[in-house]
Formats: sequence, structure tokens, C-alpha cells
Amino acid sequence: MMLAAIAAATPTPAGVPGAGIFTSPLILSLTIWVPVVVAIVINTFPNPRGRYDTLMKQIAFFTNLGIFFVLFIAYHLFETFLPTLQYEEKLPWLPAFGVTYHLGVDGPGMTMMMLSCLIGMISVLASWGVRERVRSYFTLMLLAQATVNGAIAAHDMFVLLLFWGAATIPVALLILGWGGPRREAAAWRLVGYWGLGTAALLVATMTVYAASGGTSFDMDVLFKSALTPRVQLGAGLALIVAAATRLPLFPFHGWVRDVYSEAPLGVSVVIAGTASRLGGYLLLRGLVAADADASRLLSPLLAALAAVTIVYAAVVALRSVDLRWAAAHLAMVPGAITVFGLAALTPLAIAGSVLSMFTGGLAAALIVAAAWVLTDRAQSRSLSVLSGLAPRMPILTWLLVLGALGLLGVPLLASFPAETMILFGSFKTQPIGAFAVAAGLVLTAIALAVLVHRVLFGQPNPDAPAVSDASLGETWYLGLLVGGLLWVGLFPSGPKLPGTDLPIFDPGLINVMSAGITDIASPYVQPAPTAAQ
Amino acid sequence: MVLVPLLAFVLAATSVRTRRSAANMAMFGAVTTFALTLLIAWGLTRRTTPFQVSYPYLNIPVAFTGASNFQGFGIDIIIRVDRLTSVALLVVELCVIGALAWHRVMGRAEPGGPRFYALVSTLLFGSVATLVSYDLAELFAFWGLAGAATYLMLAQRWGSIEASRSGRIALALPFVSDLSLLCGIAVIYSHYGLQSINSVVPILHRTAGVGAKTWTLAAILLFVGVAGRLGLWPLHIWLTRTAPTAPPAASAMVQSVWSVVAIVVLYRIMPIIAAAPTQTLRSLVYASAIAAVAAPLLAMVGNEPRRAMVLAGSGVAAIGVALVIYSYQASATTLAVFGVLGVLAAAPARAGAALATSSIVAAMRTSDLAEMGDGWRRMRATTTALLLASVVIALSAALAVPLTAGSRTRFALAIGEAVLLVSIAAIRVAIAVAIGPLRRRRAFEPDRVREVPRTSVGWPYWLVLAGVVLAVAMLFPSWLGFLDNQPHKAATAAAVGIWVGVVGIGLLLTAFAYGSDKDGSLRASAALGEVLRKLLGRAAAAGSRFLWEPIAAITERVYELIPKGDGGLAQATAASGRLALAAARAPAVPLLVVIAVVLALAVGLATPGLFR
Repeated sequence: MMLAAIAAATPTPAGVPGAGIFTSPLILSLTIWVPVVVAIVINTFPNPRGRYDTLMKQIAFFTNLGIFFVLFIAYHLFETFLPTLQYEEKLPWLPAFGVTYHLGVDGPGMTMMMLSCLIGMISVLASWGVRERVRSYFTLMLLAQATVNGAIAAHDMFVLLLFWGAATIPVALLILGWGGPRREAAAWRLVGYWGLGTAALLVATMTVYAASGGTSFDMDVLFKSALTPRVQLGAGLALIVAAATRLPLFPFHGWVRDVYSEAPLGVSVVIAGTASRLGGYLLLRGLVAADADASRLLSPLLAALAAVTIVYAAVVALRSVDLRWAAAHLAMVPGAITVFGLAALTPLAIAGSVLSMFTGGLAAALIVAAAWVLTDRAQSRSLSVLSGLAPRMPILTWLLVLGALGLLGVPLLASFPAETMILFGSFKTQPIGAFAVAAGLVLTAIALAVLVHRVLFGQPNPDAPAVSDASLGETWYLGLLVGGLLWVGLFPSGPKLPGTDLPIFDPGLINVMSAGITDIASPYVQPAPTAAQ
Repeated sequence: MVLVPLLAFVLAATSVRTRRSAANMAMFGAVTTFALTLLIAWGLTRRTTPFQVSYPYLNIPVAFTGASNFQGFGIDIIIRVDRLTSVALLVVELCVIGALAWHRVMGRAEPGGPRFYALVSTLLFGSVATLVSYDLAELFAFWGLAGAATYLMLAQRWGSIEASRSGRIALALPFVSDLSLLCGIAVIYSHYGLQSINSVVPILHRTAGVGAKTWTLAAILLFVGVAGRLGLWPLHIWLTRTAPTAPPAASAMVQSVWSVVAIVVLYRIMPIIAAAPTQTLRSLVYASAIAAVAAPLLAMVGNEPRRAMVLAGSGVAAIGVALVIYSYQASATTLAVFGVLGVLAAAPARAGAALATSSIVAAMRTSDLAEMGDGWRRMRATTTALLLASVVIALSAALAVPLTAGSRTRFALAIGEAVLLVSIAAIRVAIAVAIGPLRRRRAFEPDRVREVPRTSVGWPYWLVLAGVVLAVAMLFPSWLGFLDNQPHKAATAAAVGIWVGVVGIGLLLTAFAYGSDKDGSLRASAALGEVLRKLLGRAAAAGSRFLWEPIAAITERVYELIPKGDGGLAQATAASGRLALAAARAPAVPLLVVIAVVLALAVGLATPGLFR
């Protein structure tokens, strides 16, 4: 009924940007509600004694594939020169409170949607080995993906808050139902921290709503209203807490170790790949794009949190005794780099942050997933047992090394342009922070080198259990993550016909991403200097 | 030319399985690159302008207002080959070919053969691409790639604990200097909004809002970035620590290739560094001169021959850097090319010396010069190669100096001292190996020491020959003019004679000292080496105790506190929930009375004026 209402309320877009071959404006709603509908269908479908387990997995996979395909076409048709929202949908929902069902994406939003759908597909592939209660598992996975897509596409703070908070439930249930031995602790930690984040987001939203007159939750209205400095500061701090619990940033990272080590593989991929990136996306939308004064006031705090997070994560990974714990902490680094770019508050750094949300999602998912698979195949997580595995696990060796290189921003991988843009853009406004982040990256490199040395290239441990290399399926979905990093790293502007500017197959993530960044970054443009120092 | 080694890497990584096929693939890539470079060099003889081609890699608009340079960000793949670059490319490729060919025979026992050869191709690709890059971000990208390959090559012997420890230093220290380079480039970009060297240089002093502080900061960061990879003292540790533990071919390639790449990059970005105030340039010259003296001095402390040769080479690199910067400081920029050519001439000799030393160490089964000897009789060809390489290393430094430093300035005195020390440090190893008895040790029979296989004994000679040619060519102004399109005059015979004489004095002094009392000389070196080892050990222990361990301890405490903290919070939450449940079951009236009393107390205590 809701979909019909949307179709009725929003006229067929003759001139809506980005509609192209699509005459229906439902693209974003499709990415949210199709997984929900399919989840309901899967859950109500009879499955006596697991007879249709494989069919359910296939349905989940093809749902994600279909959404990815539709979104890819939308990505292709995205108007890169328009800074405004595209594929917009707007429907009054609770007019008494000013709540509208408002969805739309600009460049950063489109980038995040592509990441979410790609990760969604990969997480289903990563979950192919689930054998117990398959129906429930994939129901919850699809719901989790839907909530993440909803949070990305939402342009109404109330709707965003709903999706943001709703993401906690299926993820926690997945961990509780299919996790490792310490799944209860992991699930409750997740609920606690993400619940705190949701509460903080609620506080921020309601504060700004009340201060702006209580007329609308729409971001176009909410973020345009003049707020007192106290309100700006309070809301900004609450948003930082909300983002920090999700990314995570030190000291709100307590869930990371348990969740990434105990959660099922597919869930870890979703969390590392997209759910955690929502923290950076929230900061971009709710702080940087919304309130330049609060951003400037809080940028030193953000920069400090980012720098401390990177150093802390690297040191902990260096001292870790468990490979999954080490990978869990290393997965915090890309998020911290994203936040640092947002803290720098220059157009280039903000652009780099948007790109790093995409690349960081892929890199974090890759390192967590590769560590997960390796420990599963090696039948141990302890770093005192895992040693010299490279000769017996050549595929996983390559994948783990590429994950490590992806975290560091090595050239040819997508994280290189992202980190370059962030560092180049931050030196003028946050030089000390930039040095600190650089030092943190040195420590991260050392931690990764020690880890890779010990686990893959050290002396083989004769007392270790038997190991086996990654299966074809595992190679495929981990390879997709690597492929994403390599593709954007080699062709950030998309491959072009030789000698021309005509794109082949991919218009270029950088080009799509840049739509809207100029608007977001416009308050932070520094005027041209007029006198030599 | 740039893509051939990358193709070789891809093929090596994906299709070859055996050591021999991997070696062939790497050699094929290196030789093809060499041939293509020769072709390009020949083409450059027929034109005065360099070859240049540009491909856009990344271009993103970020703003519509503000300074025009900052409204967009772009990284272009700019490939530019001038004559000096082509010579540098040939030197790099020659060093790689020589080391590869040597390794095919002498490195048969090394673990992970295919992996090693794939990494060699990666290093070649990264270094070639760096040399032809004229966009700073692009340059750093390939520099970083070559750096990653370098680390993996130096840490090749994965199974050895010592090799992995050295490998970590080979990762951390150069990574710090690489980040310094990146920060320097970022500082330049953040103020000028441009990354192409040719675009930045004309506007260095014409951009409003940029002053001495910026130039100084950029100069220091860029200098440190280059110095790290050149292995200048005190950033040399990653080379000296890995020289005994890495495969010899890897060590040889890394020393020679990075010295060429780094000095050429320094030469290329010197106009940017030279924008800094004169005082800054002077400080950089002092730092280089100190490094030029300290490195060969350290080479004479301790008896590890491979380490000694690395430090001697580091001294030459420092001399080259000092000459380049001094030329700019003295506003005689045309003379900077001498500094580059000195390092270029030394590079193949360094590679040859590294290979020859490693052959001798392997044959004599010791890495202590005090236990080596009789090399002239037992391994004459290799010992001669080492001797010649040492002389060329010293001469390459000496022949670069006559026109640049003169002979009567303080700078010339410092450099003269450095040249003397380099010649002593380099020749000391060859003499210690050549003369004196080769002592019998437990499980070692001196009579079983043989010359290396014939197929590998020639490669150090070829490398030394290349060094000789490049060193002697420095004396010809037409060659210099051909390289940098600037007019040059020839150094006088007297000036050249003085500097060659310095090398000769060094050789004679060393020959005399070791010839008269080799054991005494080596005992003194060993004693000094032991003192240095203890000092460094104490410094490392202090650093660990006062820096690393506290950071690690604080991190671990926090790491344990956070789960405890949120666990405690969870328990408190659960307890409050149980209390709430209990309260719900309790009788209502007494409960209300209790709540009222508690609230009254709380409000009363909090009310201002209660205790007036």
C-alpha cells in the first residue's frame, strides 16, 4: 500500500534527474522494501526439514543481485553535474510531526548505495555455508541490508533514525542465533553500544527539531534553520557519539572485538562493509553538510579521536594474541581515516572522506573476512599456533596480503587516492592531526607486517592442526572485494576508450561521487589569499 | 618501457611455477626494458627536448569558488624522459640485470624463488615509473610501490627470525621517511594546489600567502623523504640490518636502485627545496656532510663486511646529496648534476661490491673479517672484483667534487674528509679479505674454499665496468652538457689530481695499516663495534622502556578496562532491571512511602540555601 501511495503521490518523473530509462521513481524504495518483502516471503515459505534451504539462499542472492543490477543502471544514469538529490521520493507520512518519507541520493549517497548493494551480495555469498535455520538467517540478513539502505537513502531525520536504530535488531539476532561460543556477550555489547548511538542520534535529532521550531524533520528544512551555538554544540556532540559508536572510534569501540570474532562471516562482512560506514555518512550529512559552525568547533575533537583511534588500533593489533581480534581492530583504521578527512573541513579532504567510505568499507570487510576464513580453515585463532601458513594456503595468503595493502592505501588500490586526497586536503587545516595520522599509519603498517609475517611466512608450526586453502566460493566473494578495490584503484574515473573521453562500462566512481560534494564543501572553501606572507 | 616489468610481474605471479621459469621471466622483463630504454636514449640523441606523454588518472571538481587551483583535484600520469633520466634508467636496469644474473646461479638455495623474481619485476617497475614521473602524487605512488616491493624482497627469508626482525626495520624506517615525503608533497599541494613539478616551480615565489615557513617545512620533509631511501646516516639502519639477512641480490639491488632513484628525484625537486631560505639549505648541506662523514666512520667500526660496504656506499650517497644542495645554495645550479652523476657511477659498483662480498662470505662461511683472509689466493677473481668495486666507489665520490666544491672551502674540507673515509671504509674490506691467513675453524676447512662458479663471477665485473665508465665520463664537459643541456667547463688536472690523490691516500693508509698489522686493526674495529653494539642496545632498551612499553602498557590497560567497564555497566543495568522487577512485585503503599522519602531527601539536599 505504501509503495502504491508513493507511486500515486509522486508523479511520473519526466524531468527528474537520473530517471533515464526508468519511468518509475521507485528505485530507492525498491532497494529498501524489496529485501523486506523477500524476507517476509522467505520467512513464510514452508521449508520442511530444510528441504528448500538452497532455494532460499538463491532467492536471497538473486534479490541482492537484482538490486545491484538495478542500482548499477541508476549509477550509470546518474547526472554527475547535478549537486541536488536524484531519484528523489517524497511522501507525507506523519504531517502533524513534520515527518516525510523522503528518500534521495546525491553523489556520496549513490556511492554508499553502491557499496551497500555490493556488500549485500558478498555477504550472501559469504553466508552460503550456513546450515542451521537458514530461513531465519536470510530473513534477518535481508532485513539488515534493507535497514542499511534505508539509512543511506533517507533524507528525513526521523526516517533515518528509524532505519539507524532498526539495523541493530537483525544484526544482534544474527549474532545471537548463529554466532560463535561468546555470541551472547558479542550481541549484548553490540546492542549496548549501537543502542547508545541510537539514543545519541535521537537526542541530536530531537534537539535540532525542537530548536528549529518543531515543524519538520526533513533535512532540507532542519539543517537550514539557524541554531544557537549551545544547540549546535550539543547536537554536534551527540552526533559524534552516535557516529563513534557505529564506526567505531575510540573509546566507543568496545563491541568491535567480540562482534567481529563471534559473528557469522556474512554478518561480519555487512557490519565491516556498510553498517559501520554509516557512522561516517552520518557525520557527513548531519554535521559537515548541515552545520558549518558546529563542524569548525568540533573538528579538533574529531581529528583527535581519529588519530587516537588509528594509533590505538595499531598498537592493540600488534599486541594481540588472536588473529580475529587483530583484524577486528585493524578494521577500525579506515573509519578513523574517513573521520579525519571530515575533520579537516576542506573540499578535497571531504571528497577524500567520501571516497574512503567506499574504499574503507571494502578494505575493512576484506581484512575481517580474510582473517575469519583463514582462522576457520586453519582451525585456530591463536597467533601462537598459526604460523607459516603461506605454502599451504596460497590463495588466502594473497587475499590477506591484499587486504593489508588495501588498509594501508598502497598505490593501485582504491584506498590510495582516498588517503592521498585526505592527507593533501588536511595539511593546511589540521597539520598536527595529519602528522599523527601518518604516524598511526606507520604503526598500522608495522602491525600488519608482524601479523602477515607471523601467520603466513613464519616457520610452520608442526603442532598446528591441519589446514586447507580457501574454497572456490570463498575465493569468489573475497575476490569480489579485492576486485572492487583494484577496479576503483586502477580506474577511479572509469575506463575510457583509448584516445577519447568516452567511458566504457563504468562512468567512474569519482565522477559520480563528486556530484553534491561542491555543495557540501562550499562553506569550507578558503578564499584566495591576497597578500604574500 | 614502463609497463614491461609490470607485465613480467603479472605473468610471474599468475602463471610461472618453477624457479627457473620465474628467473627467465624476470630477466626477460629486465632485458626488454633495458633494450627499450636504449632505444629511447638513442632517440634523445636526435632531439633536445625530452619525450613526454600525459594520461589523466583522476580528476574531480571539489569547489566552484575560492582559489582556482583548489577548485579541482587531479592526478595525471605524466611520463617524461630526458637524457639524464634515460641514463639513470639504464643504470637501474643494469644493476637489476647484473644482480638477477648473479642470483640465478648463486641464489639457488634461497627460499621462495618465484616470489623473489616476481618482486624484482615489481621493484623494477616501481623504480622505472618513479624515474619517469613528473607529477608529485604519481611519483609518490610508484615510490611507495617500489618501497613495498623492497620490503618484501629484503624480508624474503621468511622462516628466519633474524630476517623477520630486520625486515620489520626495513619496513618501519623507510616507511617513516616515505611518509615524510608524502607530507612534504601534501604541504606543497596544500599551498599551491598543483602537483606537476613543472607547474609548481614557476609559481613558487609568486603565490600569495606562501612564505618562508612553508618552504622550510616542505624542504625538510622532502629532504628527509629522499634521505631515508638513500640510506643517509642515521636513516641507514634498514640497509645495514638487512644486508646480512636478506638475499644478497636483493640487498645489492636495493642499495643501487634506490640510490639512483632517490638522487634523481632529489635533483628533480631541488627547485622546490631551493625555495627555502638560505639558512635552511645550509642546514641541509651540513646534515648531508655530517652523514657523509659519519657513515664511513661507522663502516670502520665492526667487522661485518656487508654492513661496511653498505655504509661506504651510504657515504658516497651523502656526498652526492651534499653536492646537489650545495650547488643550489651557492647559486651554481648547473653543478648539481655532478652530485647525481657521482651517485650514478657508484650505484653499479655498490651492487657489484655487495655481490662480491656476499660470495666471499658464503664461501668462507663467516661474516667476520677477522676470520677471513687469503682471498687473493683462493678467490682471486671475486676478491679482485671487490677491490675494483671499492676503488670505483671511492673514485665516483672523488671525481664528482672538483668543480662543485673546489678545494679551498670549508665545505671542500668536509667533503675531502668524507672522500678519504669512504675510500678507507671501502678498501678496508677488500684488503682484509685478500691478505692474511684464512684460519681453520670448527667444521670449516680453509682448503675447501673455492672460487664462485664461472657463470656468476663475471657479473660484478660488468657492474664495476659500468661504474668506471660513468665515473670517468664525469670528466668530460661534453657528456655533462649532453645530459643537462647546460654549458660546463672541464675540471683542471690539478683539481682532479687532488681529489684522486685523496682516494689514493686512503688506499695507501689502509693498505699500510692492514698490511702491517691486519689482526690488530681488526681487533680494534671489533672492540669499537662491541662498544657501539652495547650503546645501541642500551638506547634501544631505553627506548623500549621509556617509550614503547609504557605506550603498550597503557593501551593494554585501556583495552582491558573497556570491556570490563561496559561489562560492569551491563551488570549495573541488569541489576537495576532486577530492582525494577522486584519493585513491581513489592506492595504499593510501602514502596510509595520509600520513594517519597528518598525523593524528599534528594530534593532537600539539592535545594540551595538549605545549609545557610
